[in-house]
Amino acid sequence: MMIAEKQLFDPVRALEERTSAVDILVRKAWQEHLAVSAQAGAALLAVGGYGRRQLFPYSDVDLLLLFASDKTATSLKDAISRFLQHLWDGGLRVSQSVRTPAECSELHDENIELNVSLLDQRYLAGDAAVYGALLDRLPRFVHGQRDALIRHLSRMTRQRHASFNGTFYHLEPNIKEAPGGLRDLQLISWLAQIASTTPKWLAPPAPAPDLDEARRFLFALRGYLHQHAQRDSNVLSFDAQEWVAEQTGVNEPAHLMRDYFRNARAVHRSALRVLETEEARASSLFAQFRDRRARVSNAEFTVSRERVFFRSPPQLDAEPELLLRLVQFVARHGVRLSLEAEQRIAARLPALREYFASPRPIWPAIHEALSLPHAPLALRAAHETGALTAVFPEMEEIDCLVIRDFYHRYTVDEHTLVAIQTLVQLREAKITGAAPYAGLLSEIEQPGLLIFALLFHDVGKGSPEEGHVDASLRIAEHAMERIQMPTAERETARFLIRCHLEMSSTMNGRDPFDPATAEYLAHKVGTVENLKYLTLVTYADISAVNPTAMTSWRAEQLWQLYLLTYNELTRELETERIERGDSPERSAFLEGFPTRYLRTHPAAEIERHMQLELESRVRGAAAEIEKAGGAYRLTLVTLDRPFLFASVAGAISSFGMNILKAEAFANRRGTVLDTFSFADPLRTLELNPTEVDRLKATLERAALGRADVKQLLRSRPRVPSPSRKARIEPSVYVDDQVSQSATLIQVVAEDRPGLLYDIASTISSHEASIDVVLIDTEAHKAIDVFYVTAHGRKLAVEQQRELQSALLAVLLG
Amino acid sequence: MKKIEAIIQPFKMEPVKEALKAIGIDGMTLTEVRGHGRQKGHKEVYRGQEYNVDLLPKMKIELVVSDARLEEVLRTLTTAARTGKIGDGKIFVYDVAEAIRIRNDDRGEAAL
Repeated sequence: MMIAEKQLFDPVRALEERTSAVDILVRKAWQEHLAVSAQAGAALLAVGGYGRRQLFPYSDVDLLLLFASDKTATSLKDAISRFLQHLWDGGLRVSQSVRTPAECSELHDENIELNVSLLDQRYLAGDAAVYGALLDRLPRFVHGQRDALIRHLSRMTRQRHASFNGTFYHLEPNIKEAPGGLRDLQLISWLAQIASTTPKWLAPPAPAPDLDEARRFLFALRGYLHQHAQRDSNVLSFDAQEWVAEQTGVNEPAHLMRDYFRNARAVHRSALRVLETEEARASSLFAQFRDRRARVSNAEFTVSRERVFFRSPPQLDAEPELLLRLVQFVARHGVRLSLEAEQRIAARLPALREYFASPRPIWPAIHEALSLPHAPLALRAAHETGALTAVFPEMEEIDCLVIRDFYHRYTVDEHTLVAIQTLVQLREAKITGAAPYAGLLSEIEQPGLLIFALLFHDVGKGSPEEGHVDASLRIAEHAMERIQMPTAERETARFLIRCHLEMSSTMNGRDPFDPATAEYLAHKVGTVENLKYLTLVTYADISAVNPTAMTSWRAEQLWQLYLLTYNELTRELETERIERGDSPERSAFLEGFPTRYLRTHPAAEIERHMQLELESRVRGAAAEIEKAGGAYRLTLVTLDRPFLFASVAGAISSFGMNILKAEAFANRRGTVLDTFSFADPLRTLELNPTEVDRLKATLERAALGRADVKQLLRSRPRVPSPSRKARIEPSVYVDDQVSQSATLIQVVAEDRPGLLYDIASTISSHEASIDVVLIDTEAHKAIDVFYVTAHGRKLAVEQQRELQSALLAVLLG
Repeated sequence: MKKIEAIIQPFKMEPVKEALKAIGIDGMTLTEVRGHGRQKGHKEVYRGQEYNVDLLPKMKIELVVSDARLEEVLRTLTTAARTGKIGDGKIFVYDVAEAIRIRNDDRGEAAL
């Protein structure tokens, strides 16, 4: 009891004192039972934890009885029994082995623990000559079998880690065996000892000095656990957490666990690093791979021994944004940081924090890093080195923050990183049942933005009194302001953080087949794009609660909700129309547009559209082209007429532009608002700014039917087709039921220049009028939804059939 | 003793758990299941492709109660799980021959 109490002050010393006390008892028993009968040829050694002078209250006392020969050992059998019985009667749990020096210097494949325990051996009593014989052989053995010992230790450690799912995040961790536990501390010491041993000199145990704090913490914790359980128990159970927190005055078990995870993280990281270094030394295959990876080195970073180094470390002092480029480098190549790079970052953390605390336009650099294939690895490296909190000090709030509930397996920071990892792993299509979500991920425009939102979605959990969603929003707002994220991206990030629980709670609390549910969610998300983002955030968030949280059942449930909401969003384009605006002018412009228009366009944009409408009254048509991110956006207002949409789409394509998205709505007065988002693969508009005006003029002429679009298309610049792995089977789906007044035609086809013109002109040539259009492309796949009417009504069955065949014929080309 | 097996709508899980808790029933086994009764499945169209959703996600609750409490528990369960629409689910009641608490060999209702 006294020793355990002393652990409050100095656990290392307390363990040494206990070891010394036990040494006295053991030597006395040896003196009494074996010293006389075994004057020559027998020695007593402390091994294992006892040998290291780390004897915990209820740990086994590991002894090695070393005999010059088997014969000596056999002759002393009775005396050995009495000696051991004496110790047991004295209350010690003895774990003994009996060996000769020769046996100690053989490799025991089946009992490698014996070999390893000798690294911690310590002489206690008996014949110094026998001990000398062991000391003669041991360095030669350890040095000679170095690779085999490392291989065995590595295998045992990997197996041990695997039995804990490779993570130190456990709600009730085993602080000895789990990753980041005491066993890992020993591993680090043993590997260093083995590496330094020469044929003539056995290196002493080499505990890592940078882990001193973690060692003291874990030692004290284990002492408390033994005291609490009154036995050799190393599991930090919920009960034990409460008891230890109370004993140490921490009071809040979550704080104790936060300390535990921080220490375990440091130990785990070091253990993995040492292990990888030693494993690499033993593998020639790895060396070849290592060399290959060195080729990705650039002017700022070198890759060597499968690690990234700063080419010129002082550069980080002069140029703090080198840190962001380093994160990008890791995210691009998937190579881990070298110890030197980590140390450099650690040394510069105060200066880096100060630099990134000021507002700076670093969103593009962050966005790029988050969009790269190894973003989760880069984020983890940034998190572990403190670089993440240097750029986003907001993340400190959730560092190792424990949420004690039945479902959450991880701390909040780990949950965040696992969520991001889950999302990115969708790309590898490794997760069963995740294919639809992998499809969604490939469709969204800014995966980096999605990862940013995930990074901040739970950051408010550190401020529980405020409500975590509100707190996350408030905190993210500061960060977005500081990194100067553009308004549109900020809006999406805000939406995702604000609504990140919306789909989960809808799944758990509402009837998915009640039309009101899809309607409710459709209004919440506003657009198909937002729905895709939110579905992916929900998928990742649920998956990161614990390893079994995202069952195939739940994945199906979420997909069903996505599907119903998607269809609702598409359906309501036609059925939900704006009845009136808040002023006569707005009413005149807005009446008859889908309600979606109000949800997807901010007030300032609507004002601009109204302005364009005024201009169109003078010229007949008014177009505006602006650059938005990597694409261009065209807004065109004019009066409706047959072939209008086809003509505009054709005119855009005739300039070599690639249409990505489009919308077309008409109001009650027959004014049409078309918006097109298009890419400029040949950089025509960028390199020739006057072409923007020419395109605008052409578009206005096309809108008024004064341009021969067919002719224009014939002379359009040829854009090389990207190579593709698989062709997309075209399909035309016709639905007469979704709308009361129009027929829905949905076309899915491989995208190609002029495709939209061909589809739209085919519809128009069948005397159908296009009421509403929603165009989307995913990679090379075009997904076009048209609501069409003939003379103000749905298409007749025969007309539907003819149009369907005609469209298919166009698509099959 | 009776075993109650209830197949309910997933979104009714929380209200049902709360209602059972309110009458002192804490122990139950929950399973994520798929199935359909008269509700059948239905068809969804997503981007021109038809998706047959023939097996719908449901939750299965299993619990064993004393004969004396059966009616009360069934009443609570049906009230909490009901929306009045097709698809609300079903409840099955079975006789239970014996119950044993593995930890201490308690038998019969004492083991519940």
